Amino acid sequence: MDIKILTREPETLRFILSDASTAFANALRRIMISEVPIMAIDDVMVLENNSVMYDEILAHRLGLVPVTTDQSYNLPEECSCKSELGCEKCRASLSLEIEASEASEVVYSSQLKPENPDVRPVSDKIPIVKLTQGQRIKLEAYARLGRGRVHAKWQPVSAATYSYDPKTRTFNFLVESTGTLPPEKLVLQAARIISQKTLGFEEGLGGIGQN
Amino acid sequence: MIIPVRCFTCGKLIGDKWETFSQRVRAGDRAQKVLDELGLRRYCCRRMMITHVEIIDEFLRFSQVTARRRSEIV
Repeated sequence: MDIKILTREPETLRFILSDASTAFANALRRIMISEVPIMAIDDVMVLENNSVMYDEILAHRLGLVPVTTDQSYNLPEECSCKSELGCEKCRASLSLEIEASEASEVVYSSQLKPENPDVRPVSDKIPIVKLTQGQRIKLEAYARLGRGRVHAKWQPVSAATYSYDPKTRTFNFLVESTGTLPPEKLVLQAARIISQKTLGFEEGLGGIGQN
Repeated sequence: MIIPVRCFTCGKLIGDKWETFSQRVRAGDRAQKVLDELGLRRYCCRRMMITHVEIIDEFLRFSQVTARRRSEIV
């Protein structure tokens, strides 16, 4: 198996995979989409909100805001705290408090104050809601690790595709990250997950092989 | 109501590109050119911009009027 990188941009990576089977190429692609854990806002405690947007819509928009991933966090289901709310090892909070003083004021993702600077919105310019004079929002949001198969907000890629070239028998990959993790890290993580899964499978088979 | 955070189909972040898009198109630039320069290559992301109608400002006007009326009654 061989990988040749074609282009490398901050969010997109193109590479050629050769000496691999279609099954492997597709496993790599599907695991990048649905199994690589990244962080996203999962719980929102709304303390005050008299904006034109309902709490639920506000929380939904916050959930979709891509946040940078710090891989030192635990997956909530694997964390030793076993708590529904989570602990400092499996969640990172971001808080938002704002009152509009003008007739029309846009609340941007940059106004979310992260507790951990490594878990912050990918872009500063995402409009979250618009407020008019006197409207207030006060909330605390909790970001957690999760996987794309549970909710699309945890999907680390907006595109993970390949095309097969029958002449050279190679796969031309395109990986476009949502910005939470650099694309080359996603490919690496996906490969690690495949090998973990294979090892798990071998262990499961172990008993049968010995008989 | 307000620009969606991500593309409905592929999940690409588009919310942060709306203001540039709407300002430049209103100033007379061709939408095709602006979309290309913003890096929106797929048609799923491009339609998010082209078909969006920003109506949150009208909601704000309603809430301003109701707030004023409420203060007049009291």
